[in-house]
Amino acid sequence: METGYLRRPIPLAAIVLLALVVHGPLLTMQLPLTTSYDANLHIFFASHYAHHWFDPWNEKWFAGFSQTTYPPLGHQWIAIFSYIVGLREAYALVQLIAVVLLAIGVYRFSRLWVSERASSYAAAFSVFLGAVAFLVYSAGQLSTMLSAPLYLLALPYFYDWSRSADGKGLLKGLVLIWAAASVHHVTLIFGSVLFALPVVWLACIDRHEGRSVAAVLTRAIMFAVVAGIGVGVILLPYWIAIIRHPIEQIPIPHASRSNLLLNLNYLTNYFFVPYGALILALPFVIWIGSANRRLRPLLFGFWVAFLFGLGGTTPVPKWIFGRAFEILTFERFTLSAALLALPIVGLLAESLLDRYRAVAAVGLSAAAAATMAIAMGWLAWSPFHTLSGLNVDSVVEFLNRNGHDRYRYLTLGFGNALPKVSTYANANSVDGEYNSARLLPEMTHYGSAQLTSAKFFGTAGMESVRAMLKHANNYGLKYVFVHDPYYEPMLAFAGWRKIETYDSGTVTVWSKEDVPPARPIQSDAMPAPWEGLLWGTLPLGSSILAILLALLLPDRVRATERVVEFPAPAGERVYAREARG
Amino acid sequence: MPRLITFLSLALLLAIRAHGVELRGPAQVKAGSAFSLSSNGSGEATLYLVGPASVSKRKVQLGSGIPVEAGEIEHAGRYVAIVCSGGDCSSANFYVFASDASKLSLLVHPSRVRVATPNAISAVAFVFDKFHNLVLTPSDVEFRVTPQQGPALTHSQPSSNGVAWVRMTSATKEGPTKIGAAVADASELRVVRQVASDACNLRIKSEWVSGKLFVQTDPVRDCGGNNVPDGTVVSFTKTDEAGKTTVDAPIKRGIARVEMPVSGEARIDVASGVVTGNELNVAGAR
Amino acid sequence: MKHFLPFLITIATVVLVLLGWVQSGVVARERMRSSRTPDEAARLLLSQVQARKWDFAHTLLANTGEVEKAAFVRDVAGSNGSLLTYASLEKFDVWPLHNNGREATVRVKLHYSTAVGPLDDVRDLQVEHQGETWRVRWPTTTIAKVAPQVIPVNYLRWDVINRNAEDDWGVQNVDSPQVRILSMNALQRPDRIVILGEIVNEDTIPAYINVGATLLRPDGSPIAQETSFDKISHVLLPKQVSPYRIDFPGIKLDQVKSVRMDAKAMLVPASADPVIEVNRQKLETDALGKKVLRGDLVNQSGQIVNIPHVLAAYYDANGKVIWVSDGYVDQELQPQIPVAFAVDVPDDVAPKVHNYHVVVNHYDINNAS
Repeated sequence: METGYLRRPIPLAAIVLLALVVHGPLLTMQLPLTTSYDANLHIFFASHYAHHWFDPWNEKWFAGFSQTTYPPLGHQWIAIFSYIVGLREAYALVQLIAVVLLAIGVYRFSRLWVSERASSYAAAFSVFLGAVAFLVYSAGQLSTMLSAPLYLLALPYFYDWSRSADGKGLLKGLVLIWAAASVHHVTLIFGSVLFALPVVWLACIDRHEGRSVAAVLTRAIMFAVVAGIGVGVILLPYWIAIIRHPIEQIPIPHASRSNLLLNLNYLTNYFFVPYGALILALPFVIWIGSANRRLRPLLFGFWVAFLFGLGGTTPVPKWIFGRAFEILTFERFTLSAALLALPIVGLLAESLLDRYRAVAAVGLSAAAAATMAIAMGWLAWSPFHTLSGLNVDSVVEFLNRNGHDRYRYLTLGFGNALPKVSTYANANSVDGEYNSARLLPEMTHYGSAQLTSAKFFGTAGMESVRAMLKHANNYGLKYVFVHDPYYEPMLAFAGWRKIETYDSGTVTVWSKEDVPPARPIQSDAMPAPWEGLLWGTLPLGSSILAILLALLLPDRVRATERVVEFPAPAGERVYAREARG
Repeated sequence: MPRLITFLSLALLLAIRAHGVELRGPAQVKAGSAFSLSSNGSGEATLYLVGPASVSKRKVQLGSGIPVEAGEIEHAGRYVAIVCSGGDCSSANFYVFASDASKLSLLVHPSRVRVATPNAISAVAFVFDKFHNLVLTPSDVEFRVTPQQGPALTHSQPSSNGVAWVRMTSATKEGPTKIGAAVADASELRVVRQVASDACNLRIKSEWVSGKLFVQTDPVRDCGGNNVPDGTVVSFTKTDEAGKTTVDAPIKRGIARVEMPVSGEARIDVASGVVTGNELNVAGAR
Repeated sequence: MKHFLPFLITIATVVLVLLGWVQSGVVARERMRSSRTPDEAARLLLSQVQARKWDFAHTLLANTGEVEKAAFVRDVAGSNGSLLTYASLEKFDVWPLHNNGREATVRVKLHYSTAVGPLDDVRDLQVEHQGETWRVRWPTTTIAKVAPQVIPVNYLRWDVINRNAEDDWGVQNVDSPQVRILSMNALQRPDRIVILGEIVNEDTIPAYINVGATLLRPDGSPIAQETSFDKISHVLLPKQVSPYRIDFPGIKLDQVKSVRMDAKAMLVPASADPVIEVNRQKLETDALGKKVLRGDLVNQSGQIVNIPHVLAAYYDANGKVIWVSDGYVDQELQPQIPVAFAVDVPDDVAPKVHNYHVVVNHYDINNAS
């Protein structure tokens, strides 16, 4: 069998096509909207921008909250596309762009560390990564998925600037960093440690002869300072919101913070599924990463991200993050760990293909496909089922008729179908699915998340619901939709009456007669008009600038023939070659 | 009102500006009655008819009578007809008053009332024509009260500005009473339920059946002898050496009955709302 | 370095995972799996109940042969839609009362999370020394059963026909029921103001009521607004009286000039059944030394009452309402079978209590509206 093509890099266009072929149909089916936890949340945010681009104050949740508490870029692009294809399709489109950009980002990031061929394998594997399937189809973390590739794309420019004072690299790197931060600041914050530090380390190793480490570090710091200032300005309304209302609510339990070894389902959800066949490669990642001086920064970055991704399985996250440990969720770090491991996995694949040719190709393909298949299968086999597919049409129809939208409402037992109701109903809710924006004391004084899922938080959750129902008159909370009979006794004893039933009794509507119409709840969290203007222009502007720079200032074409050897110590095998035109 | 003033001002201005066309019509017209406006001049013109609840526009021929259809003047109130030909406009005002009384809205309050309560029931009738215009000219409204038993009583009351009302004292016997009002061919009927007052002489008695003590009230009636409605709660309280026992039992078929375990000497008393009844002293289980 | 580093990373990872293992309380949990003392035996049993591992929990009993598993499960997890079926055991406390080496008594306090809020249950468990271990002797309760029979119920129901949207505007709805607040008393408690009293339905039809109160400052502006929430019987039959209590946490009485009461009544379809008898009411001191009002509830109808809720008003010698307390009963009310209840009375209130009045509110799965 002719296997010469196995010795050549996979063309980037083919990898992009692969990403489109694999994820395109799944996203065209709008799978995340019915299987994932957060997809409907992102659509809800986007829906607000579609209707009120320059007004981030959203009254539909928590009796009013500011969307400046969450970077807007991903949502704004969904809003823009929604004018053409509608919200749901726009979400799928942006998610698909993220997946494609991730493959490109992995390729470019890997090129810093390993050869073009190994990089192409790493990029191809990224399409099938369990963590990607998990975050796209199960977690629905669009923001992480979109900001990560932007960040990966920025890192090579950061490297170029730090290593060789490439001015164009500085400009493009900064703009990409700003765009990434405009999508998701948390990814940037952790990325700066997990990804950027290894890259700085690498830039120091790869510095030109005669150049000092101090110069590299100075340029890196300069880059970080300018990037920080830019992020500070672009996300200024966010910083204002967070300074004005720091997150002081009682921590909400999350499974990713637990010791995964104590629960097989958690272990599967947060370890086996995100890593998949990558688990088999972990010993080699450590071995190969240790063996080469240039790969060690990457190995350390991977190791730290890996430990973070294990959540409460090790005490490391608690030591590092302190109180923030109770606020963060740790599934996102599995993506970071996987992305950091991929260049080395690409090297491993290169080595296996050289050695075993077609057998290795089949094996690696099967492993990649199985990784994604398991992640997709877990959507069905997992005991954690989302309610995002719940039919809420009758609820929306009820809220939009006969002036019912003059009152606020609450859903109980709707899980993550709540954003779906909120997106399409005109009425406002006292609940919401975005924990960081909650300011109502009925919610922040108890250690529970959404009221709609209160029972899963035990006494804290039910006490939170109780407190909210007690103050129903204050909030104009007249209608409660119940999708779980568990909540009915409290409503019945508290003076609510069942008034309507939908979907063969699976959804019931409860009402209390003496509730006055809802009035706006005054809040000091309401952003000023200038903040809305800033929020509506700068984040989107950063992404448009990034696109323009990519088009107007193309990167120099990297030649594949002219290879510059790394200054590797004698006796060490050279794993990566930098090529420059 | 501001709209009306605007239209009137507009009409006035148009009248001042008008030279060639002149429009004349009756001062008053009955709602839903067709009539004609007369005009001079010739050729085609545009007629605007501005009423309290409608505005219409159509082409008319000048020089002959301009017919106004019945359907164009169903709402009572002031109308302005404006006719414009070329640059000339002319207007005429007329008033549409309600047609003959043919509908009635009857408000009766309350829907439940205690027996023998003076002036407790009010009945208010609003008289309308067939187009729902309030008939402001006086019309005789006949109020009719039909008790559950006995002959109906009638009372005629002229309406004033479209409204006629009466006040009534509730009967001494409980039960539903029908209160109606009629004008011309229209009539409306409402039902007022007259209910017994608080229980009076609330009395209980006990009996042993198969070793169990049952306590029940005599038929619960108010001081006028009316049965207190079923469902009214009667509270039985028994105090004995085992402690206190309370049962809130609703009256069913005129009496309230409960079973009570008794140990030793026991005292049983009864209450309904704020009314208390007699006490019973019973000895232990037989 | 190149050989040393992989081992370092691997060993460090393993050590960190082990540290996490210890920190997660696994060791403590393993200790809980032993039952070398009466305390440990109770903890072991309750940890299995908490995990809803009924089979294993049942095998841990000293009297497995005497207690049917179904009865044991019914005892700890409820049945027939009772409050315990809407509950999960969140945590528990265990402390010894007595131990003679062969038998011991431990007191357990079970903290449940339920659909109506937290619920605490205190039980004294007998523990026996069997071989090397201690085992809990679960009380064998014979479940009272009602003989098969027909209980005639003259169903008394009120149905409401409301006006149609197409009706003439003169066609009014039936008037709302007339209710009256019989009494209102504002008390200063250590951490709150409590407004309590009684409300009566003076009408001849059932009323669905909500009572709210607004505390007003001397300038007439509101300080806070609260409702009685579940401390009232919302459905009142004609002439029925319900206590109510409204709590204002964190407010002092001297800040308040007046209180605005608001009683809203609505006409709703209702049923006069079931009738629930409240027997053997007595003020007592419980095992923890707290004053409680105890009694039995007897369902006189033929249908199961899933979740009973007891509301008690306490009067002083002048007939003034001086306290209102409430409590949910964790068992369902089967027809004719007494079920015990107990509601707390504050220690400072108990000596002043001259009389009390108990009202039973209820939730039925099949008739939730």
